[in-house]
Amino acid sequence: MEKRRSGIRLAAAAGLIFAGAAGACVPPLDGTRLESARFVLVFRPEPISVAKHFAVEIAACAKSAGAVLESIKVDAHMPEHRHGMNYAPEVKPLGAGRWRAEGLMFHMPGKWQFVFEIRAAGKTDRMASDFLLGGLIDFKPDEITKILQHGPWPPQARPDPSNRVSGRREAIALGEKLFFEPRLSASGSVLCATCHAPWRQFQDGRPRAFGLQEVDRNTPSVLNSRFYRWYGWDGAHDSLWSQSLRPLLDPREMNASIEHVSGVVRTIFPGDYEKAFGRKPPSDDEELLVDVGKALAAFQETLVSARTPFDEFRDALERNDLDAMKNYPVAAQRGLRIFAGKGNCSACHFGPHFTNGEFADIGVPFFAAQGRVDPGRYGGIQKLKASQFSLLGRYNDDPARTTATGTRHVEQQHRNFGEFRIPGLRNVALTAPYMHNGSLVTLRDVVKHYSELNEERLHADGERILKPLRLNQGEVDDVVAFLESLSDLNLLRNTKSAAAASSVIPAYSHHAACQPTESRSNPLKKSALPMLKEATSCVPPW
Amino acid sequence: MRALLAAFLAAACCGLNAQPLPIFDAHLHYSHDAWEVVPVQEAIAIMRKAGVKRALISSSGDDGQQRLYAAAPDLVIPELRPYRTRGEIGTWVRDETLIPYLQDRLSKNKYVAIGEFHLYGADADLPVVRRMVELARKHNLFLHAHSDVDAVERLFRQWPQARILWAHAGFERPERVAEMLRKHRNLWCDLAFRTDQASGGKVDPAWRAVFLELPDRFMVGTDSFTPERWHYIPEHAEWSRRWLADLPRDVAERIAWKNGEAVFGSLLRPD
Repeated sequence: MEKRRSGIRLAAAAGLIFAGAAGACVPPLDGTRLESARFVLVFRPEPISVAKHFAVEIAACAKSAGAVLESIKVDAHMPEHRHGMNYAPEVKPLGAGRWRAEGLMFHMPGKWQFVFEIRAAGKTDRMASDFLLGGLIDFKPDEITKILQHGPWPPQARPDPSNRVSGRREAIALGEKLFFEPRLSASGSVLCATCHAPWRQFQDGRPRAFGLQEVDRNTPSVLNSRFYRWYGWDGAHDSLWSQSLRPLLDPREMNASIEHVSGVVRTIFPGDYEKAFGRKPPSDDEELLVDVGKALAAFQETLVSARTPFDEFRDALERNDLDAMKNYPVAAQRGLRIFAGKGNCSACHFGPHFTNGEFADIGVPFFAAQGRVDPGRYGGIQKLKASQFSLLGRYNDDPARTTATGTRHVEQQHRNFGEFRIPGLRNVALTAPYMHNGSLVTLRDVVKHYSELNEERLHADGERILKPLRLNQGEVDDVVAFLESLSDLNLLRNTKSAAAASSVIPAYSHHAACQPTESRSNPLKKSALPMLKEATSCVPPW
Repeated sequence: MRALLAAFLAAACCGLNAQPLPIFDAHLHYSHDAWEVVPVQEAIAIMRKAGVKRALISSSGDDGQQRLYAAAPDLVIPELRPYRTRGEIGTWVRDETLIPYLQDRLSKNKYVAIGEFHLYGADADLPVVRRMVELARKHNLFLHAHSDVDAVERLFRQWPQARILWAHAGFERPERVAEMLRKHRNLWCDLAFRTDQASGGKVDPAWRAVFLELPDRFMVGTDSFTPERWHYIPEHAEWSRRWLADLPRDVAERIAWKNGEAVFGSLLRPD
């Protein structure tokens, strides 16, 4: 049976409406005012609930004396669903320029559109008005408090005191070049952007990263990385610059030595280095390596994700702008209520970045292979304590060491075994797959993970907010809708549009065209370094 | 020169080649979800590599520790967990089908304890729990209770001669743990999954006082509540050795393994 009907439903014979001067045309009804070339229309629906019949009061008048209103048609449809109502309303004249349309029904929540057509002198004037059924959830004050904590976005960015070139334009420029520089890898074939690809939200879309070999963990996006406290899924690094050194030296990723990295800078980028750091490259290889990390960090600090539909809603909520709030889908609002309410997701996914920056065991298995586990945060703390590149070391440019408080006080605990960093959720719909090992393919899988949480994997005295949410299908859909609203919608529609990937520095946009290819002309052929080979991953077009 | 002298004195004092402190791991599980991903021989190898002298092991789905016991009777001390699957943690206290299950297992296998079970407050007086305690009394078994103080007290009221291993020492403060130990001579504590007794290899002063006052009443344990945590056993043993080294040697040895050996080591009846 055809359930969905669309188009004009009914015409009603109309009385003749004569109008005087345009300024005098005031329909005799309080309601939503619409205007066409020849007519002014006001309508006021009865209270509308999902799947309940309702009527609409209508009044109209002609702007000019020559316009004679012959009939009015009323319809409604859901533009995003491409269907109309299941019922044909009847328009009854009430006289004196008023009508009443009966028998309308919106059978599902969401964005509807009223359509009014006035026929006059052989022509039709069409007027439309959006209506959000469900409209606005009446959030309680405590819910509003929680929601407002997720903004504003973007937050104010301050330079990193541990990095003396943080925010410095010349360092950002050098870092950008280094980020896309395959010659930093021992093979000459792997660059930072191999895994942190701009057109994939600066991640790779793989379950587990692959530089020179596959590693145990999923590639996190470096968008918004400046807002983290700890770096890596295990938090083995306490600054963006020290984290940036790890892939360079990891045999599975770029497999470079300290001498190799410093050699590349001295050979290829001595001028850029001098502009960024105000001195010639030092002779100490380790010191120069750290400066590479600091330039890379300066560049990555510029990568901040764009505002999202959620941000528009959050800010409208703050200023109590109901009209603006109604632009936020009802499903997302319901999902937000679950996220901040009974789901308690915002306890860990806290603040504008949707993470408290710490670590948790959420019951995801952490075998890396048969007979081998990924110890997560437990191993991360061990590495942090042993690292000469931590903020407690000599390379921290913050003389007061205020940046090192966390490093100084962090302590290993048994529960850290199998904990992983709580990721920020901005642009989360664009960064599948999920979890530290990329074991969950879709956002829906992630929501279901929490909905059906395996409590047996959690210690009886562990985090008590972690309980199966037991969401029904609609609730799962709603939470997914909310999570999707944390992403830039333009990117959701065109995930290959890297140009809009972020609110990055303008100079960055030329990397938008950096795509995986072997056909582009290869600048490595000009390299003076003998170890360099042809890049096969991503070659930026400069 | 000064460094060399310090190294020499350290070697002379403690013996550079001293064997690592043996560990009696009083809190391991080898539940149904671990059997495939950490096979029996691998589990045994992990324990031996970690220097675990013996281990008190229970399984949700009782077959796990029986498999380990059959493969390494010198290493494994079985206890009977009242959960057929781990999902029964929150339901077992009202599940009357549990009693025939326990009776059946007790008639077939050797155990030194019933546990580890999760039991809080007044639930300790529920009929199923009382029947379980009766079974423990009948078979002369320890109770391994993951419980609050209230539940421990109720268990002792049911069976004043009960011997209870208090899992995680109830996550209570050291002062409260000491009170309970002074009050109940048949109460022992495992320190599994807690880190508050030491930091950076240094024993917390409040805990130190309790350890020195009651050195015969504590044991260490890993708590392998997920299969992955079998791979934590060596790390946990090393962590335990580090903080135990901050205690007098005889106290450290007792907590590390002698207490477990003395309490559980001789309980298995010969065939």
